[in-house]
Amino acid sequence: MMITDKITAPLSQLSQSKGWKGLACAGLLTVGAVLAGCSANSSQPMSQNALPNGMQGNGHEYLLTVTRPNQLHVIDTETNKLLRSCDIPGSFGNGSIAISPDGRTAFVLSNKMEDVYGIDITNCETTFSALQSYDNVQVKTFISMAISPDGKELYTIQNPVRKLRDRFETMAPRLAAFNIADGLNAKPIRTFPVDRRITKIATQQNGEVILGGGDIKAINPKTGETRLITALQNWERAPDKWVPPDAFAMHTMGEHIGEFVMPYFTIRWNGEPGDESKADFLWGHVRIDLKTGAVENFETVPFEFIVFNWVTDPKDKDVMYGSFNQLSKHNLKTGETLNVLGMDHTYYNLNMTTDGKKLYVGGAGNNISIHDPDTLAKLGSIPLVGDMSTADLRLAVLK
Amino acid sequence: MKKKNNMTRALLSTGALAFMGMATSSAQAASGESIIKDRCLICHTETGDAAAPFSRISQQRKTPEGWLMTISRMQQQRGLVISPDEKRELVKYLADKQGLAPSETENLRYVLEKEPNVVESFEPLLQETCVRCHSGARIALQRRTEDEWKWLVHFHMGQQPTAELHAGARDRAWFDIALNQVAPYLGQKFNFDTDAWQQWQAQAKQPLSGRWAVHGFLPEKGNFDATMQVTMQSKDHYQISLEGNYADGSPLAGQGKAVVYTGYEWRGTVTVGGVQMRQVFAASADGQSLVGRMYPNEDDVMGGQIKAVKKTAITAITPSYIKQGEQALLTVSGYQLNGKVNLGSGLKLLEVVSKNDNRWVLKVQASPKASVGTRHIKIGNTSASEPLAVYDQLARVEITPNDSIARVGGGGGKIPKQKSVYRAVGYAAGADGKVGTLDDLRLGYMTANWSLKPFDETAVHDNDIQYAGQIDARGIFTPGDAGPNPARKMSTNNVGNLGVVGTVQEDGKSISGESHLLVTVQKFVRAVIE
Ligand code: HEC
Ligand code: HEC
Repeated sequence: MMITDKITAPLSQLSQSKGWKGLACAGLLTVGAVLAGCSANSSQPMSQNALPNGMQGNGHEYLLTVTRPNQLHVIDTETNKLLRSCDIPGSFGNGSIAISPDGRTAFVLSNKMEDVYGIDITNCETTFSALQSYDNVQVKTFISMAISPDGKELYTIQNPVRKLRDRFETMAPRLAAFNIADGLNAKPIRTFPVDRRITKIATQQNGEVILGGGDIKAINPKTGETRLITALQNWERAPDKWVPPDAFAMHTMGEHIGEFVMPYFTIRWNGEPGDESKADFLWGHVRIDLKTGAVENFETVPFEFIVFNWVTDPKDKDVMYGSFNQLSKHNLKTGETLNVLGMDHTYYNLNMTTDGKKLYVGGAGNNISIHDPDTLAKLGSIPLVGDMSTADLRLAVLK
Repeated sequence: MKKKNNMTRALLSTGALAFMGMATSSAQAASGESIIKDRCLICHTETGDAAAPFSRISQQRKTPEGWLMTISRMQQQRGLVISPDEKRELVKYLADKQGLAPSETENLRYVLEKEPNVVESFEPLLQETCVRCHSGARIALQRRTEDEWKWLVHFHMGQQPTAELHAGARDRAWFDIALNQVAPYLGQKFNFDTDAWQQWQAQAKQPLSGRWAVHGFLPEKGNFDATMQVTMQSKDHYQISLEGNYADGSPLAGQGKAVVYTGYEWRGTVTVGGVQMRQVFAASADGQSLVGRMYPNEDDVMGGQIKAVKKTAITAITPSYIKQGEQALLTVSGYQLNGKVNLGSGLKLLEVVSKNDNRWVLKVQASPKASVGTRHIKIGNTSASEPLAVYDQLARVEITPNDSIARVGGGGGKIPKQKSVYRAVGYAAGADGKVGTLDDLRLGYMTANWSLKPFDETAVHDNDIQYAGQIDARGIFTPGDAGPNPARKMSTNNVGNLGVVGTVQEDGKSISGESHLLVTVQKFVRAVIE
């Protein structure tokens, strides 16, 4: 299968890309090198209840993203104005963000995907840090960060490699739990073994952490007890009928509606295996309701073009939007492509406000494009100073 | 992970081996073993095992480039401190002591020679697991114990932690497969201990000094014949003087140096017409021939295959075909040619137009009834190893390479354009009269007119032909400038998907062949072994 979508400048690192299979986990490779110091912030002293610096609570929504060299940006979704940019300690990680349940703290993966910094979005203050590497052990986290529903614990998936004097030794990955109240220089308070290749995690209301790897599992972060939610790579389907799913699980999505989405690509051979003329090329989606734990699985949307990220319409859960070289709108029940809008460049990422009235499309460049979900018409854009690269685009609902 | 640094590093280290060819060896330099003891044992250890004295170092064998890459990584990423002289000495020592036998590099030399557009196809397990970030030849040009293959897998996980998340890895248990399937497979297939290596080590190595006749091809100037005078300076270190002519009569001359590793790995640097050229040759076991590729240091696509001989030999016949009933001038390249010309049945020598040390030009008449097939021309007792084809009619044209990549560059950026080069190969239908069958007769390289076309509908739609680049009369494709192009949809780069068409004229008929060219974005890292 060959897809010849042209890739625009920010993706140019994908020097070999000839199609979907060629789209090596692009962003993960492009880790920045520039060091950004944490600048002193000039926030006013704040009282216990009021929010400083013109921020509004009571469910006001802010869009968060990270740009190179390493800044966290806070955007007011009401005005679409950039409110502040916070320097993140360390060099660019890959721009992953996890948000505390009260919407106030953004946990950002920094320093080549090794360190996590908790930043108060109202004043740019660094309230938490965890430097995961230690001794001779290099610890990387691939995107995967989540906060417990009570806001007390941070979870990361750690991928350690021991760097001995004349050799490296790969160690087993693990879930690490941090006590957020430990503040700066926090150390894991518990760890439990997990699968390799986990890139996407989220916490359910019941406290379990969903592990998005080859298969989708859930782990109890108190006990380490793990259960299977949906087998993907190890699904029990006839290999001559189905190609095992390839999940490009780059960004964690779904906080605007309280869900976890794992999209994947698969092929159904209707004729002989390998006979592309008779095959269906399909997007699959596993969606988990983080409140109830209910799991849905769809394999309806035809693979017509690359979609990097998907987001569910809060007004109609049958509808999902996708972004990459185009912004697209799909019906998950029927598989119908409802609308496609060609974009001016590649965008990795998208998100929505909780009322479903605005779509924000970002990543892979330095402007966030704003669209009307009904028509996909462009409503405006938010220029940023640096490249968002692979960064998350996340919605903080401030309590 | 720092892209920019890696690039400069890679460029520096590419230069380093080229430079090694230039530098004189200092006979006084410390021996390889004492360099290891002085420089490497801060991190590596002495095992106490005389057969494998140094941890991680003693149970691998690789090419000089392979050793250079490892030691450069020790320097740039691990903290090794070593002087340029010591580094040169150590690469030489390790390549000699723990190198590869000539047979162990067979069919894999393209990666050392930097031959562009080679399509690799290894065992699916290896191809799928490993041949993604670099060539498969980088792997197959090493010999290790199974344990050393396993440590290599661990190295990858620390060096490139996202390796298991790329397309082609994230849909399987990549690390487990690499460690528990690929490493044991490599331990068998590319084992440390081999008969080939034992035999090669035992064999006496021939000095390569003397006078060589060189036949070669360079895309910009075409075929050339030259004499290469090689003088030994010290063991394995030579001085080179190259002098000859291109097919159009223009002169070719150059001076340089070469180092021979592992008894046969010739690495030369010569300056030809102001351009630094690199020679990557393999010497035959008898020391009488050198085969490989010569290319500009800074533009390795623009090089070509070279054959040099020290004994009496015919190295090439150009053109390598003659048509029934026609007259042609044939250039016979070789060394110390002397005696009567024997062309074979149906061919008549009309005249020896010229002859010198390297080259005879013959005027030849083919009889209209000359049987279709190959002849091996003889001069005196020397036969040509490559055939001359006698044919009835040109039936088809193939373009090499069949699939190719060029890369945009320049446009204010630091990375130059990566061109691509095409040649047309003619075929006659052969005895069965049917085109495209196994008995088609290969005629060799033919002169063609070159053009481009969109490869598919998307390329038509995106007007790739206007932006992606141009091809000249010699079959050299030059891609467009790097950087976003505002004139294009989505301001995309000047990338494109093209067909390269080469058309050969014969008797007023045009016969074309076609190949695929993907014009893509720059490559930021230039590795010693891709
Ligand atoms: C500062 C520490 C350090 C020094 C000094 C050092 N090495 Fe290493 N070496 C390492 C480490 C760490 C590894 C494993 C990681 C890697 O392969 O890069 C390694 C691995 C190796 C390997 C195995 C590589 C592979 O591909 O499996 C070789 C061979 C090697 N070193 C050779 C040398 C030589 C020769 C020297 C001295 C000229 C040297 N090293 C000096 C730290 C060092
Ligand atoms: C994610 C990209 C990637 C993949 C996949 C990959 N490699 Fe590599 N490989 C590298 C990098 C990076 C280096 C280091 C190059 C250097 O030394 O600068 C390397 C180096 C090597 C070397 C040379 C090491 C030395 O110092 O001699 C060998 C041999 C090798 N790889 C084999 C393999 C094998 C076997 C596999 C499959 C199990 C594999 N590679 C898969 C990226 C990759």
